[in-house]
Amino acid sequence: MKANPFLAARYAAILLWSSFVVAPFAWALTTSFKSDSGVTSGATYIPWLQYQPSLRGWKELLHSGGAGIDVGWPFLDSAIVTLGASALSLVLGTFAAYGLSRFTYRAGFIKNSDIIFFFISQRIMPPIVLAIPFFLMLRALRLLDTIPGLILVYIALLMPIVVWVMVDFFNTVPRQIDEMAILDGCTPLQAFVRVILPNTMPGIVVAGMFCIIFGWNDFFFAFTLTFTKTQLLPVAIVALNSSVTPWWTLSASSLLAVAPLVAVAFLVERLLSRGTLAGAFR
Amino acid sequence: MSLAAENLSVAVEGTVYLDRVGFTLQRGRLYTVLGRTLAGKTTLLRVIAGLQEPDQGDVRLDGEPLSLRPIWRRNVAMVYQQFINYPHLSVVDNVAFPLLRAGWSKAAAKARAEEVLAGIGLSGFEARRPGQLSGGQQQRVALARALARRADILLLDEPLVNLDFKLREQLREEFRRLLSGEDKGIVLYTTTDPAEAMILGREMLVLHEGQLLQVGAPAQVFDQPASMTVASIVSDPPMNFVEGAIEDGAVRLRGGLTHSLPQHMRGLTAGSYHFGFRANEATIGDSAGIDGALILAEAAGSETILHVDTPLGPLVIQLEGIHSLGIGATVRVGIDDRRLFAFTPGGTLAAAP
Amino acid sequence: MRGYKYLFLLPGLLVLVSIILFPLLFTIRVSLSGWDVNQPGLNWIGGENYARMLSDNRFWEALARLDVMAIGTVLLQYVLGFALALLVWRDIRCKRFFRVLFLVPMMTTPVIMTVIWRTIFSESLGPVNDVLNRIDLPSVPWITDGAMAFISVMIVEVWQWTPFMFLLLLAGLLSLPREPFLAAAIDGAGPIRTFFRVTFPAMAPISISALIIRFIEASKILDTVYVLTSGGPGTATETSSYYIYIRGLRDFQIGYASALSFTYLVIMIVTLTIVAKLLARVLLVRST
Repeated sequence: MKANPFLAARYAAILLWSSFVVAPFAWALTTSFKSDSGVTSGATYIPWLQYQPSLRGWKELLHSGGAGIDVGWPFLDSAIVTLGASALSLVLGTFAAYGLSRFTYRAGFIKNSDIIFFFISQRIMPPIVLAIPFFLMLRALRLLDTIPGLILVYIALLMPIVVWVMVDFFNTVPRQIDEMAILDGCTPLQAFVRVILPNTMPGIVVAGMFCIIFGWNDFFFAFTLTFTKTQLLPVAIVALNSSVTPWWTLSASSLLAVAPLVAVAFLVERLLSRGTLAGAFR
Repeated sequence: MSLAAENLSVAVEGTVYLDRVGFTLQRGRLYTVLGRTLAGKTTLLRVIAGLQEPDQGDVRLDGEPLSLRPIWRRNVAMVYQQFINYPHLSVVDNVAFPLLRAGWSKAAAKARAEEVLAGIGLSGFEARRPGQLSGGQQQRVALARALARRADILLLDEPLVNLDFKLREQLREEFRRLLSGEDKGIVLYTTTDPAEAMILGREMLVLHEGQLLQVGAPAQVFDQPASMTVASIVSDPPMNFVEGAIEDGAVRLRGGLTHSLPQHMRGLTAGSYHFGFRANEATIGDSAGIDGALILAEAAGSETILHVDTPLGPLVIQLEGIHSLGIGATVRVGIDDRRLFAFTPGGTLAAAP
Repeated sequence: MRGYKYLFLLPGLLVLVSIILFPLLFTIRVSLSGWDVNQPGLNWIGGENYARMLSDNRFWEALARLDVMAIGTVLLQYVLGFALALLVWRDIRCKRFFRVLFLVPMMTTPVIMTVIWRTIFSESLGPVNDVLNRIDLPSVPWITDGAMAFISVMIVEVWQWTPFMFLLLLAGLLSLPREPFLAAAIDGAGPIRTFFRVTFPAMAPISISALIIRFIEASKILDTVYVLTSGGPGTATETSSYYIYIRGLRDFQIGYASALSFTYLVIMIVTLTIVAKLLARVLLVRST
C-alpha cells in the first residue's frame, strides 16, 4: 500500500469527496451575501466578480416580519428543548441502563434482555406512527405547542439511545467494584454516583452528544406538535422555504442554524482520536 | 468479639456451595480457610460479607445476626483476588474512601491513609492511580484500604493467587505481619495452597465440597487430619493411601506387605482399614519393602518426585536431592510403619503417628 | 437492597412505557374507528380502514418506492463510507482534518441542509444545472422529473448519512489487530487481495450492525422528501411515511391513517427482523 500511484489516487479521491461535502456550505455561504441580481439572473459564485456582495441576508436574521425571520427565539427554544430533554434522558436512561446491567429482572417470561430490546426497538418506530397519537395525547394534556410537551416527547425518543450506549459501558465495569464500594460503606445509590459514574464518563459524553444531535436536528415532531407559541429552529427555517423568501435570507439562516452542531463535529473527532470511541491502530 | 456461623447452607441451581457450615471465630485472630477450587471458600466469604444470602442458617456477630444490617453497615472489609481498586481515584484517595464514607474528616482520613500506606511500603505512591501500579502494588493498595478502616471483619479471598511465585512468597510474610494483632478484628484468609495455610494462620478451617471438615491449629490438622479427605487436602507432598487390615497383631497391606503393629495402633480393633503415609516418609532402595516399576520421575525444585506402580497400587514418593532413575526400572519402596496413619473404612482417622 | 433494584430501572422504564406504549395501543384502537374531519371521535367501524388499505394502490406503491430508496441509499452509503474509511485510515497527511470534515454532514440538521439543496437543485437558478450548461450538457430536471427527483432525494440522503457509515467503519478499522495484515504482507498479498481476504471479512460484524442501523433509519425517510420534492412530482418520491402524513395530518383522516401506520409498523418490524437475520448469515458465512 505504499505504491505511489495509489497514493496520488487516494488523495484525489479524498479531495473529490471533500469538495462534495463542502459544496452545499460554500454555495450557501456565497448565496447569503447576494442580493437580487446575484440570484435572479442565474447562478453566480464569486463575490465582486459576478455579483455585488451585501449583508442583507445576515442583517435580516434578527428582524421578524417581512422577508426576514427572527432566528433568536427559535434558537432559544431549540436550545431549551434539546438540553432539557437530553439532560432528563441521560438521567433516566443511565439509571435504567445501570439497573439492567447489574440486576436481574423478571416479570413472567420477560427478562433483562427483553427489556433492553424493548428500549432499543423504540428506534424502529417511524415518527409518523407516533406523531398522530402524540398529537392527540398532547392535545388532551393541553401540552400542544409547549416546551414541556416537546421535552416529554423527546425523552421518549432519546432515552433508548442512552440505554443502548450505557448498558455496554456499564457491562465493562467489573461487578466487584460495585461490591467494593458497598462494602466500603456506600448505599447502592452512592456506589453508582460516586464510583461507577466517574468510571463511565466517556459513555455519558457519547450518549449525551447523541442526545443533543438527535434532539437539535429533529424536524418532524417539532413540526407536527408545535405551531406558533413554540417554534424550534428546523421548523422555523423550513417555514422560510417558500418562493417568497429570498435566497440570501434562506442561506444565512440555514448556515447559522447548522453552525452549532458543526462545532460539535470537531468535538466528536477529538474524542475519536483520544481513543474513547475506538482503539488506536496499534 | 466473636463471629459465629450456624448451619450455613447455600445451593444455586442444584449445586451445593455450602453444606451446613458452622463455626465460632474469635477476635484478633487470623484464620485461614483451606480448600480446593469450588470448595465453597468464596461463597463463605460472600455470605459473611452479605453479598450472598444463605438458603439456611445465619451468621452472628456477638450474637446479633448480620443479616439485620444492610451490607454497607456491616463494617466488613474485603480484599479480592483480582486487585480491585477504584480506577478513578488516586492511591491515597482509594485508601481514604471507606473512612470518608464512615464520617471521618478529610484531614483525618488522609492522615490515616498515609500512615497505613507507609506501613505497607507504599509511601511515595500516594498520588498515583492504581492503573499505573504493578499487580503486587495494586494488591497492597487494596489491603491498605481494607486495613485502614479497622473493620470488625476482614475477608481476603485468595489475595496472592494472581501474583507470581516470588512475589507471593514475599507478600506472604508481609501479610502475616500485617494481618495479626488484636486490632485487626477477625481475619479470614482463603487459599488453595496448604503451605500458605500452614504458614499464615493461627487456626485453619478445612472446607471441602461445601462442608467444614476440620478446624484447628495448622500443626494439629497436619498431624491429626480428621479424615482421609482432610489428609489429602492438607498434605503437601501428597499422602498415599493403601487398603489393608489389622490382623493377628500385624498390619497387612493389600498387595503383600506386612509390618508389625506400630505403637500408636495398638489400641485399634482388628479389621479393615485404609492406611496412609506421606510421600516424603517412604524410602527407596532399602532391603525391606515392596518392588514396583518406576513410571515417572520429576525433578521439583531440590526434590525428586517418583511415581511408582506397585502391587499396593500407584504410589508417589518424594526424595530429597536429585536422583536419576530410568523409567521402568525396578525400585524397592520401603514404608516406615511408625509413620503410618490408619483410617476407618468410612474415612475417619483411627490412629496417627 | 431489593428496593434499589427497582429504583434504578423503573423511572426510565415507566416513563418510556407510558409515552410509547399507550400511544401505540391508542393507534390500534383509532385504526378501528372512522375518525376524520367530518366525524371526530372514537366510533367503531371494525376493519373497514384495513379493507380500504388493501385496495389502496398508492399506499403499496409508496411502500415499494421506500424499499428501493432505502436499499439504494444504504448500499451506496455503505460502499462510499467504506471507501472513505479506507482512504483516511492510515498513510495520509492531515488525517484528523479529513476525518472531521467527512463527519460534518451527519451533524447538520437534515431539513435545513435540504433547504439549501433545494436552491442547489433549482433548475433555472441553481449551480448544478449552471455548471452542466457551461460544459455544454443540457439542464437536468432535478425536481420536475419523476426519476430525477428520486435521484435528487437519494443524492441528498447519501450526502447526509454516508458519514455515519464512515464513522462506524473507521472505528472498526482502527480496532482491527495488526497481525493478519502483517501476515498478508509477508505472504505477498497485494492491496486488493488483502482487502477481500483480510479487511472485509474482519469487518463483517461491524458492517452488519452498520447496515442494519442505517436501514432502520432510512426506512423512516420523510424530512428530505417533504422539503425537497413534497413527494412529487405527482407521487414520484412519495414514501410510506409521506403518504401516511398526507392522509393523517393533512387530510386529517386519522382513523385511516392510523390503520396505515400500524400496518406500516408491522411490515417494518417483520422486514427488519428478516433482513437482520439474512445479513448476519450472508456476511458471517463469507468471512469464514
